[in-house]
Amino acid sequence: MDERNFLYMFYGFLAAWLILAVYVAALVGRERRLQREMENLRRMIEERQKEAS
Amino acid sequence: MTAPAGTQPDTAPRVAARARRGFLRSALTIAAKDLRAELRTKEALNASLAFSVVILLLFSFAFDPTVEETRALAGGLLWLVFAFAGALILNRSFARELPNDCLDALIAAPISASALYLGKALANWLLLMAVEAVSLAVFGVFYNAPWTRQWWPLAGVVALGTWALTVVGTLFSALTVNLRLRELMLPLLVYPVLIPALLAAIQLCGPLALGEPLASDMMVWVRLLVGFDLIFTVLALMLAETALVG
Amino acid sequence: MREKMLIVFCVLAAILLAYNLYVILLVLPDEAAQGPIFRIIFFHVPAAWTAFLGFLAAAVASVLYLVRKDLRYDAFAVAVTEVGLAFAAANLVTGMIWARIIWGIWWTWDARLTSMLVCWLLYAGYLMLRHAVEEPTQRARIAAVFSIFASVDVPIVFFSIRWWRTQHPQPVVWGGGSMDPAYWNTLFLNWVPLLLLGLAMAGIRLRQERRRRELEALRRMAHAL
Repeated sequence: MDERNFLYMFYGFLAAWLILAVYVAALVGRERRLQREMENLRRMIEERQKEAS
Repeated sequence: MTAPAGTQPDTAPRVAARARRGFLRSALTIAAKDLRAELRTKEALNASLAFSVVILLLFSFAFDPTVEETRALAGGLLWLVFAFAGALILNRSFARELPNDCLDALIAAPISASALYLGKALANWLLLMAVEAVSLAVFGVFYNAPWTRQWWPLAGVVALGTWALTVVGTLFSALTVNLRLRELMLPLLVYPVLIPALLAAIQLCGPLALGEPLASDMMVWVRLLVGFDLIFTVLALMLAETALVG
Repeated sequence: MREKMLIVFCVLAAILLAYNLYVILLVLPDEAAQGPIFRIIFFHVPAAWTAFLGFLAAAVASVLYLVRKDLRYDAFAVAVTEVGLAFAAANLVTGMIWARIIWGIWWTWDARLTSMLVCWLLYAGYLMLRHAVEEPTQRARIAAVFSIFASVDVPIVFFSIRWWRTQHPQPVVWGGGSMDPAYWNTLFLNWVPLLLLGLAMAGIRLRQERRRRELEALRRMAHAL
C-alpha cells in the first residue's frame, strides 16, 4: 500500500509536467507552422514581384 | 413664456423617466413581435415541447423510479430537461432574424441594443415557461408527483431559474448568431456558465416537485438564484450592444 | 516579450524547481496521515493559483480590449487563458491522482475539484469560440464578451459548489488550511518557478499572436499582387 502511495506520487509529478510539456509542444508546433507559412508567403511575394517587374 | 397646454417643461428627471419608459416600451414591443412570430409557426415551441415530453416519458419508462428514487432525481431530471429544451428555443431567438437581413434592420432601428436584447429575453422566458408548465403537468402524471401542493413556491423557483437560463442564453445567442456550428456552440457555452443557477434550481425543485415544503436552510439557494439573476441581467444589458453590434 | 527575458525566466524556473524538488522529495518528512502522496500538493495548489491568475488577467485584458479596441489586449487575453487552462488541467489531474490514493476513487465531486472542472470547461469554451470566428476584430469582440461572462461566473461557481458540498458532505480531496509552516514556505517557494514558467509560456504565445497578425498582413499583400 505504501509502495503504491509512493508510485502514485511520482505519477502525479509526471502528470503535472506531462501536461505542461504537451502545451509547450503545442506552442513549438504552432511556431514551426507559422515559420513555414511566413517563408512560403515571402517566397510567393518575391516571385510575384519578380514577375511584375 | 408659458408652455402650450398639455406639455410640461423638460427637466432632468422627466427626461430620464421618458427614456426609461421608451426603453421598456421598445423591449415590450420586441417581445410581443417575437411571441407573435413564434406563435404563428410554433416551430421552436413544438420542437422544445416534444423533446421535453419525450425525455420525461422515456426516463420514466426506462428507470421506472419508485417514490424515493423520484425524490432524489426530480430536481435534476426536470432541470436537465428544461435546459436542453431551452436550448432549442434560445437558438432560434436571434437566428430567426438572419433571413432577409432582419437582424440588420433591427440593429438599425431606433431602439437600443439593450432593449432589443431584453425584448427577446422576455419572449424566450415566456415561451420556455409555457413549455415547462406542460412538462410539469406531464411530470406530475407520469411520476405521480404531487407538485401542485407547492405550486406557488415551485412557480417562483421555476421562473427564477428560467430567467437565469434565458438571460445568459439570449445573450450568447446574440453573440453566436453569425457563427458556423451555432447550434452546437450555444449549449456548450451556456451550460457551464449556468451551473450555479442550475445547481440552485435543482436543489430547490427536488423537494418542491414532490409537494414538500422547503426547509429553512434551503433559502441560501433562493438567494443564490436571485443574486445570479440580478448580476447576469445587469451584465447582459451592459454588454448587449457590444455583443450585437461591436 | 524579448527572447532574453524568456530564457532568463526559464533558467530561473529550472534552478528553483531543482532546488524545490530536492526539498520536496528528500528534505521534508512524510505527512502523518497521507504519506508520500501528500507531496503532490506542492504542484497541485500552485498550479491552481497560477491558473486563476491567468484567468483574472484574461478578464482584465478583455475589458481593456472592449474599451480600447487594441488587438494586443486580445492577444494577451488568449495567451494567458491558454496558459491558465494548461495549469488548471495539471491541477485537475494531480487532484484526481491524489483522490485515487486517498479515497480510492478517481473522481469525487469535491468542491474544489468540481469548481476547477467547471472553470476549465468555461475557458475551454472560450478557446472553442475563438476557433469558430475567423475575422480578427469580430473574434476579439465576441471572445472578450464571453471572457467577461466567464470571469464573473467563476466566483459564483466556487461559492455555489461549496454550499452544495457543505449540504451533502462528500470526500474532500484536501482538508482545511491548517498546515505545518514548513510546508507553507515550500508551497509558496514552488509557486515562483511555476509562475515564471507560466509567464514564459504566455510570452511565447503572445509573440505567436503577433506573428500571426503579421502573417495575415503578408497574406493580404500576397493576394493583392
